[in-house]
Order: sequence, then C-alpha cells, then structure tokens
Amino acid sequence: MAIDKVTLEILKNHCRAAAESMAFTLYRTAHSTFVKETEDFTTGLTTPEGETFATPVELGATWFVGLNYGTVIRMIDHYDEGDICMTNDPYSGHVCTHSPDMHIWKPVFHEGEIVCFVVGHIHNTDVGGAVPASISRTLSEVHQEGIRIPPAKVVKKGAFNHELIDVMLANVRMPEQNWGDLKAQIAAMNTGERRVHEMIAKFGVETFKAGVAGLLDYAEQQARSIMATLPDGDYFFDDYLDEDAAGGFPCRIALTLKIRGETCVLDFTGSDPQIESSVNMPTGGQPRHALLMVGFVYILYSLDPTLFLNSGVCRVAESILPEGTIVNPVFPAAVGLRTLSVQRLQGVIFGAFAQAAPDRLPSSPASGGPIMNVNTIDNRTGRRVMAAIGAISGGAGGSPRGDGTEGSGANASFLKNTPVEINEAEVPFKILRYGLCQDSGGAGKYRGGNALEMIFQAHAPNTRVTARNRDRTRFSSWGILGGKAGSHSKFVLNPGSNREENLGNVDILTIGPGDVVHIASGGSGGWGDPLERDPAAVLWDVRRGFVSTKAAEQSYGVVLTPGGVDEAATARLRADLARERPKQEGFFDYGANRLAYEKIWTRANYDALTELLAATPVHWRFFVKHRVFEAIDALDPVTLAGDGSDVRAAFDGVVERFPQLRAALAA
Amino acid sequence: MGYRVGVDIGGTFTDFCAFDEDSGALHTLKVFSTPQTPGQEVIAGITGLAERYGVTPQQVTYFTHGTTVGVNTVIQRRGITLCLFTTRGFEDVLEVARLKMPDPYDLFSGRPEPLVTRDRVFSIDERMLFDGSVDTPLDEASVDAAIEGVRAVGGEGVVVALLHAYRNPTHEQRVAEIIKAKAPELTVTCASEVWPVIREYERTVTAVVAGYVQGRVAHYLDSLQKALASAGVPAEPMITKSNGGVMTAEIGKQECAQMLLSGTASGVIGAASVAMETGARAAMSLDIGGTSADVAIIRDGTPQYGIGEVIGEFPIYIPTVSVTSIGEGGGSIAWVDPHGVLKVGPESAGSTPGPACYDRGGERPAITDAFVVCGFLGQAALGYSAVSMRTDLSETAMATVAEKIGKSVQDTAEAVIRVATSGMYLEVSKLVSRHGIDPRELSLIAFGGAGPMMACFLARELGMREVVIPRVPGVLSAFGGLIADIKNDFIRTVYLDLETGSLEEMRAVYADLREAAIAWIRDEHGYEGAVTLLHSADMRYRGQSYEIETPLDAEWIDSGDLNAMAGAFHAAHERIYEHADADAPVQIINLRLVVVGTPPKPKFAPVETSDAAPVATASVPVFYDGATHTAAVYARGDLYAGQSFPGPAIVTQDDCTTCVLGGFTATVDPSGNLILSREG
Repeated sequence: MAIDKVTLEILKNHCRAAAESMAFTLYRTAHSTFVKETEDFTTGLTTPEGETFATPVELGATWFVGLNYGTVIRMIDHYDEGDICMTNDPYSGHVCTHSPDMHIWKPVFHEGEIVCFVVGHIHNTDVGGAVPASISRTLSEVHQEGIRIPPAKVVKKGAFNHELIDVMLANVRMPEQNWGDLKAQIAAMNTGERRVHEMIAKFGVETFKAGVAGLLDYAEQQARSIMATLPDGDYFFDDYLDEDAAGGFPCRIALTLKIRGETCVLDFTGSDPQIESSVNMPTGGQPRHALLMVGFVYILYSLDPTLFLNSGVCRVAESILPEGTIVNPVFPAAVGLRTLSVQRLQGVIFGAFAQAAPDRLPSSPASGGPIMNVNTIDNRTGRRVMAAIGAISGGAGGSPRGDGTEGSGANASFLKNTPVEINEAEVPFKILRYGLCQDSGGAGKYRGGNALEMIFQAHAPNTRVTARNRDRTRFSSWGILGGKAGSHSKFVLNPGSNREENLGNVDILTIGPGDVVHIASGGSGGWGDPLERDPAAVLWDVRRGFVSTKAAEQSYGVVLTPGGVDEAATARLRADLARERPKQEGFFDYGANRLAYEKIWTRANYDALTELLAATPVHWRFFVKHRVFEAIDALDPVTLAGDGSDVRAAFDGVVERFPQLRAALAA
Repeated sequence: MGYRVGVDIGGTFTDFCAFDEDSGALHTLKVFSTPQTPGQEVIAGITGLAERYGVTPQQVTYFTHGTTVGVNTVIQRRGITLCLFTTRGFEDVLEVARLKMPDPYDLFSGRPEPLVTRDRVFSIDERMLFDGSVDTPLDEASVDAAIEGVRAVGGEGVVVALLHAYRNPTHEQRVAEIIKAKAPELTVTCASEVWPVIREYERTVTAVVAGYVQGRVAHYLDSLQKALASAGVPAEPMITKSNGGVMTAEIGKQECAQMLLSGTASGVIGAASVAMETGARAAMSLDIGGTSADVAIIRDGTPQYGIGEVIGEFPIYIPTVSVTSIGEGGGSIAWVDPHGVLKVGPESAGSTPGPACYDRGGERPAITDAFVVCGFLGQAALGYSAVSMRTDLSETAMATVAEKIGKSVQDTAEAVIRVATSGMYLEVSKLVSRHGIDPRELSLIAFGGAGPMMACFLARELGMREVVIPRVPGVLSAFGGLIADIKNDFIRTVYLDLETGSLEEMRAVYADLREAAIAWIRDEHGYEGAVTLLHSADMRYRGQSYEIETPLDAEWIDSGDLNAMAGAFHAAHERIYEHADADAPVQIINLRLVVVGTPPKPKFAPVETSDAAPVATASVPVFYDGATHTAAVYARGDLYAGQSFPGPAIVTQDDCTTCVLGGFTATVDPSGNLILSREG
C-alpha cells in the first residue's frame, strides 16, 4: 500500500515526536552529568530490518542519522514482547563504534508481529578498562577499552537480566552512573514503544507500515534531488592527522568521491593502515556505515535544510573501505578515540564535495580543538576536583554565504562551553583569557572563523591537564578558491617566559602552581581570494579586533588610516600583491607545512606507499609504514624523485632489513 | 467605585479588558495596534471604552498595561548605540556566547550579531576572584580609556559587566560612578544590578538587552503616563512583568528588562486563574494569535517559570513565565514541497498581508484560510465582524495548493488543518516529554484570536479530555494583567555546600535580600498591604552543571534544618528527573527571594444559571474528518451557566470564534468558562 502525501507528512510529525520524546525522556532521566552536558546520546525508530526512519534533531549527538541496527538485530535469534537488547562491542556488528557507547534496542510488537524497533545509545562516562573514562589515545587493543558486551538481552519479557547487568557493573568504575543511565535508556525505549502503539491505534497498522516505508523513500527522494544538482565527476581529496602515534608520523585519510547522477560512491582507497592507537574507525567495511555518513549528511542537509533526516538519505551513497585501514580496522584495533579521526574524515568529505559545488559549500571548518579536563587538588578544601573546561573550539569555514562563524560552528555546532565563572568556582585555577584569537581564521573573500583560545594559571601542584582530540598543530584546515588555510592549534606551557615549552600534540600534561598554559584551537579556512574581500569588511574586522592591521595589509592588501580605508593605497597595494604573489596552484590552500611535507610525500609517493602496504599483512602495516617514513626522512630531500620510486626503494630496504617480513609477504 | 482596566498591546491588535467594580461585569475591546506611534492605541481604546461601555477615564481606578515596545526595540534593532565594558581578556563574551549553534546539522548555522558588536567592547583592568576577593585592583586609567573609546564610536550608553561581580560588585559600581562623573550623557547599566547571578554570558547578555531597550522603554512609559494623565485617568499605570507580576510605571522605567515578555506572561497568568476556577490540577495554556502559537504548563494554578527565554534573537536570564512556541499561528502558510508533500509554516503571512481572507494582499493560503474554507469562519450566519472576511479569496488561495496535491479545495483545507495540528502535536510532545508530563491529564486552556478555533483539533491529537475556553478568550492577556500581583525577584549567588558551616552566610544573605525586597515593595513601589516572601534556592548535586529551584521554608534556614532543605531538593530532583540520591552532597548555587503584594482582586459577578436548553442562532455546514457536518451556532453572550450542548457547534463572541467538534460536549461552568469535554 502506498501512503498519500498528506498522511505521510502527518505521520512524519508523529514519528519525529516519538523520537524527540524518547530523547527528552532519556535526557531528563539520565544520571550522569556527562550525558547532560555533552548530549552524547541518540534515540530513534528503525524498521524491523534496522533502518532508522526517525531521529530527534533537537537533542542528542548528530552522528547517527543513518545508523543501521540490522547487524545487531539479527544477532539475537528470537524476540519476545518486552525484550530489550544491548551491546557496546565495537566488533559485534559495528553498530557500536567505541566501548563507552551502550546501544540498546527494543522490538515493538503489534498482534505478535514486530512492526519496528525503538533504539538508542548513551555514552557512558566509564566502562572500565585501562584508564578512567575508558578512552586514551595510548591504548592499542579494544580489550584495554573496558568491558565489552556482545549483543544480549538486558531485559527478557519485561524482567531485568540481572546476571548480565551485574557483570557489567562489576567492571566499571562508577557503577551507579551506568545503572542510572541504563534505566534512563530503558525509560526512553518504553516511551518510544508507547508512542508507536499510539500511532498504530491512530493510523492503523497498515498505514503505519506504509508510512515508515514512505518516510525512508521520501528522505531518499529528497537526497536524490539534492545530489542531482551536483555535477558528475570524480573528486579526490585527502588530509592528514598530524600523528599516527605520540610523536609518530602523519596519517592520511583519502577519498575519491564519484558523483554519478543522483548517487555517489565514496572510495576511501588510499587511506592509511589501521594504527596502533585508538583513533581507528570501526566500520566493518559496511558501505553505509554511520561514521562515514556523518559528513555526507552534513553536506546534504546544508544544501537543503528541509531534508528529513533518516537512513533513506544514505541510500544514495556507498563507500569502499579497504580492510585493515583506519576506516576499516580489523579486530582488535583500539577505537576509543575515533572522534578525532571521524572529525578529520568529515573534513575530507567536505573537501571532496567542495570541489563539486564550490559556489555552494564552505571551506574547511577548524578542528583539533580539545576536550579539556583539569584534575587537581582544591587548596581551599583539600578535595580532589576534576572538571571539564572549555570547550576550546574553532570556527566554521568561509563560504559563498559569508564569513565562517567565530569560535564554533559547522560540524562542531553541538559543543557547549563552561562559563569562566563556573570553571573558577569549581577548579582552583585562574583563567587569564578566554576568547577569540586574532588572525587565526584563514584569509579569504569570506574569512574563516577565528579560533578560541584559553590561557590559565594553575594554583596547585600535580595539576593534571588532559586535552583529548588535539590535532592540527602541524597541518592546517584548508581554504578554497584562493581562500587561505587557517592557523595551527597551539598548546604552550609558560608562554613568553624563559620556561616556555611548545607541547605540540601532547594530550596529557602535569603542571604546578604558577604554571601558565596557553591552548588554542586551529583557525578555519577562508573562501575566495582575500584581495577580493570588501575593504569595508576588512576594516570592520580590524575594528572588532578579529584581524590585525598588519594582516589587513599583508593578507588582504587593505591599507587603513585612523578614519577608515585608504582607497588609493589599498588599490596600489592590492595590485602589487596580486603581481608578486606566487600563482596558486589548484583549488585548495593547505598551508605551508603541508606544502613542504608534500614536496617529499608527493601524491605518487603516497599512493605507492598505500599500494605496498595494502599488499602487506595487516599486522605488519603500521610497523612497515613507520620504517618507510624513517627511511625517507633519512634521505636528502633534493635527491627524491617524487614519482613513487623513492617509496618503493625505501620499502625494499625495509623488506631487506626484516626477513620475517619477506616471509609474511610471500605467504 | 470605578473600573479596573487591563491593556495588552499585540502585533495586530491591542486588547482591552475593563472590570466594573460595581456590577462585577467584564467588558472587552480590541483596537488596531499602532506600532509607528506606540501609546496612541491606548488612548484610542480609552476613548472606545467610553463610547461603547460608558467607562469614563475618570472612573479608571486601576490600570495595568503590557507593551511590546521593549521586545520590538530588540527585534527591530532600534535601541541605543550601546557599549560594553568587560574585564580585560574576556571581551568576546557576547561573540562566543555558549558556543552551541541553533541547528547543529547545518554547516551554515550561526549566531545573530550581538547587540553590542566587538568594536564597542572595551577592556577594564581589574579582577575579582570567585570568592569575591580582589585579585587585581581597579585601574581607573583603564576606565578613562574605555570612556574615550565609547566617545570615539559614538556610544550612547554603557553596560558594565565584570567577572565575578555577582559576588562583589564594588568594581562595577566604581566604574559606573566614574562614567557618571566623567560622561554624564551616557546611560549606565551594571550587570550585577540587573540580575546578579553566576555565569558571565548569561548575566552580560541580560544586562545588554536591558541597557539596549531602556531609553526607548522609559520614554514610552513617560509618554504613556502623560497621555493617561491628560486623558483624565487618575490611576498610576501598572506595568505587567515577564514574571507574571506588575510594577509601577515609575519602577518600569528603571527595570525595563523585567517587562520584556510581559504580554505572553500575563496571558498565562490569566489562564492560571481560569485553571483555579475550573479546579484543573494540571493545565496547558494555548495562546494562538495571527503570528504565534504558544503553550505553557500550569500546575495547581501556578505557571512554570524559566530562565533563558528568548527576546528576538537573544536569551534573557531573569525569572520569566516559561512559554514555548509551537508554531506561527493562524498566519502560517501552506505550501507543497518539490516531492508533492503538503507543509504548513514556518513561513507566516504575519499581520500584513495576513491570510488571504483579510483581503490585504495575501495570496497564499494560511491556516486561517483553511478554517474559512471549512466553514468555521466567515459565513454570514456566524456574524463575525471584528475583521471582515472574503471567503472567496481563501478559496482561490487554497486552490493553488489543492491543484498541486490533486485534492479538492475543501479536502485540501482540511489537510492543512490536520498537518498544522500534527506540527503543533510534535512541539507539544517535546515539551511534555521534557517535563515528564502525560498530556492526556492536562486541561487545555485556549485563548488568543485563534486558540479556541484550533483547540479541539489539538486536544484530539494529544488525547486530552478537556478544553476550557475562558470568558474573554480574545483578551486574556489584558485580563491577566488586571488580576496580577505586585511581584519582584531577588537573587544572590553563594555557591555553598549544604552543611552547617554555610548557614551563617545563608542567613546573612537572606537578611540582605529581605531588606532589599521590603524596600522595593514599600519604598519604591509604595505598596502598603500585606506582603508575602517566598524563599527558594537553586540547588544541585555536586558535580552537576544545572540547578533546580527548590522552594524553602524560611524557618529551615533560621533553625538550621539542613535535612529539611536537602529533603526538599531530593524530592524536587525525584519529581523532575525520576531519581534522587539521598547520600550525595548537595550544593546551593543561588539563594532567591520573591516578594509578592496582592492588591484586592476583582470580584466577578456570578454567571446566571439556566436549566433551559441553549438556543442556537443558526446552523451552518462545516467540513472536517472528511465529511460535511451541520454545526449549531451559539452566541457566547446568550449562554447561561449549566447549559450544555454537543458538538459540532460554533460559539461566536466579539473577540473570537470557538469550534466545538463532534465528540465534544460544551458546558458553561459557574464562572462562565466554556468546558469542552471529549467523550469516549
């Protein structure tokens, strides 16, 4: 039965109401402050096969629009009414993508038949394992990231499975929080189930079923219409994580976006091997895995915000995910900190799409802003305090619609900060500055948003500062169409003193009384030629302190006088700058560091590395990558050919050095 | 004896409600608002009351007034050129706000430009610490430099918002003194005086909105006072407040931030009084006008209060009756997306051009047009006269949509109503889930020009059993002002652990707050009647980042009954979040005090009772649920208490039209409210 489109719209509102009601119920009844603060949870409704047809948009994480519960639904061989199942194992069906995320699903029955599932997840503050909060970049195996529960029934016919719950709670650091949050999840499931029953009573089961199919089709049609506005073609883009380990080498994520009519293929061939730290993205190679679809959904929704968000959107895309890479790691690679790599992956998707529609899409948002925690002793009470401070995020990229937003935005729009006054009330330290960094946004006709920075001073010994998700100290966010790259992120101890220390991508630091820390996110990329920026806009930026007078001249060619813009001098300077500057090659500006890096690691060299590593057994790849990088680093850059031969020679050298590798390659 | 008059200015209409203290009768009047010359409509209405009901200005002994001057100043950005002084290092407080963007899925989602742009923010060298101690003394030279800066940008006023000034305002006060001495032409607003609460963005943005609108609001109130005086009205005007209370116009000139959301608040106060009359323990007010649809939750006759309510594009953090928008009202436009799906809103025809039926140039069908096409509005037999309606224009407009979805004009109109209702259902669902309320237990109190028209549709969608239409549904905000208390809020951030050692400070703070509260109501307000003081505290478990306002008994603080205070918090936590932890340490972030003075309330004349069957004036065809039904038409003024009639029916009155759908039975209660009960 096909559903008429008036009923479809009404049913759509009811389905969204169900999903939103689940989210509000979960949010309201959750125990942990972490959930309340970060809204790191989702709720939704799926088809009996697991396709999400309704999600909340008001509350919760933005990452799981296209989540498909099918794999875990099928791992339970029989459902009774009143059952609720859960899993937090990233390697059982790949619905869960790191161990703190407890996913839960409940079948909704109508006259003995499953008509849909109500589903959702919550990020638990801790699920045990090697470190508090269960996540650390230093972990290398999923076993270190806490207890893992493969798909299992936590409620059987309405009765708690206490044996399972007790095992979980015995393995976590704050069991009362996990238990409280699990109850909140269950309350949300029951809310969703009741709403579905109400819908069936109102619309009839056949209309409901037809409506569910109709809603997925509707989202798909909308997505197809949006895709149809983009020109066919192959669009390659790659970007790097600064490090694949503490002090390690860059890690590439590469994408060839193939747009064909109303559909596209996201081919991630060229992405680096899975790595020995916890930033791997566990997708199981599923072509529409939710983690891969996040960036894609952002793009489509931004092109048309009337898009109804559900799995139907993802039907128009398919991914190719080579096994043993950072985008499809094999067990037991650690995955806890995949947030860092997923954000970069979103940026890679943005970069590919930006080439298809540069007149409609922004340049790179900032990323690399950390989630900051301070753990110290309060001199006033002697009590140990731990508090999240910040966020210290960056802005949105410039776009044809205007400048990027300052300090947050784009794919980090969900972040909230903690007020300075609350921070100082909770933590014995003093914040010296919290605000925007001048000149951090990439120059452009439309400027990238400026980054946030914080400077603070510790008051107690053994103050531990953790800065999760830091990156972009080496490689910048990119600008397009002449727009410039954003500034690097910063982490500096005791700036301006003789004890100044640049901490790079360090993410854990212990400081003492009097120590000053300066931390800044990266700036975001600019859009379009800065010499074409309206001089009045440059003046306005200078007056607001967002751009310095010096940058106004050097980056924008705008000469200012106390009264305003010196039109004549600006015209002269702009002409000079246009003549003198090196002709920009290509669509992107990546910043100086990447330019220098790619003189050595040319596209051909990197592709050669990818090809060689792809033919190497998974457990050798990370090791071999590092030996090859070391070998290339040891060479005089001027001797490099850049055509792939450098890397092939280096690889051969590594094989030479390690006969065990030769045997592994032969096998 | 004389008349009490309540006036509420809305976007399209200005509503009047006059209570005759001799007869106990209520009169209502609507005149067009005159946004270009605010205040003129008030005088027009005073004249209208005289002409229509013989209410002379000299007989007006009590006058309350709600105005949108403040909120319009923000929306239209017509306030003063305002500057902001912050502690050095924290100048970007308005630019970064709390970071979160309105639509997290949209890469282009952004914040509005602040009312004070960054070029008009100046740094002050000083620093308070969290405990109120001085870390860096005020450098007065930096104040001088900042004043120079203000002059250079042509500033007309300054907001001073320094870190931790909620705890120790001496630096802010000194900065204000310096400005007043050296630049007396500038207005000065100290954030610690507007609402002295921890969290720098919230405190600053609130003070900025206050400082931005103050000149315009004060000027307006001044003109109003003069106009009323010259019209011969003896009563000093009282201004309705966002907290549901009233204050004198004189105080309003100083405390403009308090009146910004007074219109929606006094509507809810009116609805709350109706809930008291009908005895509904839990109710939801539904206020639908031409451009907005708002709901609020009312429990035991008391509205919910919130902070962070939105003025234009900005949140304001002072106690405000909490109202949630669920749509854009009767002007919401119906359209068809490229995939053939019928949508309603968010675009609105507004008050100009308005729905097509108003014949003011609107060509696209609005919700009101759908009600016209379905026969609920505009039929001659309905005798609706406040605005003349061209039913043919509604039909022509609806036909443009009908063609796209392949349905008849009438079916399309009904579909528009159903889609609009489902959109409101979605928004109400979010609200009730946020508060853990079962909507089926709520009594729906509908008012505003379009509320009584749509109430049955929404009640059916939400499973509600009861709809209440007040006596004066079209002017309930004006009515709410008439019955409001004199009320003011006081707060102090203390950030204390709930333990014996904190009691001394709590007592001292409450002594201060009580002194300030009494001074406000007696000295500033000149009120001499009985006063109630309501104590409460914003409390939380240590480690949480959000507080619950928990009512306290003053006796607990005096006697040091920590268990009672903790118990009240645990109970509040349990009620809201469905769990509590009696063993967890509790913090008190803020202490609050509300001072309430209750002027004598109107005593309404009892509604006459009748056992006779009500007499319909006509019957008309109406279309809903896919079929044509015959609806009896009743005039509200002809109905007596105790009378009852089944739907489908239409009840007409001066200020609005009530639709009673089939399945509902209408009964007039002893107070004159129309109770629509749903069967089955």
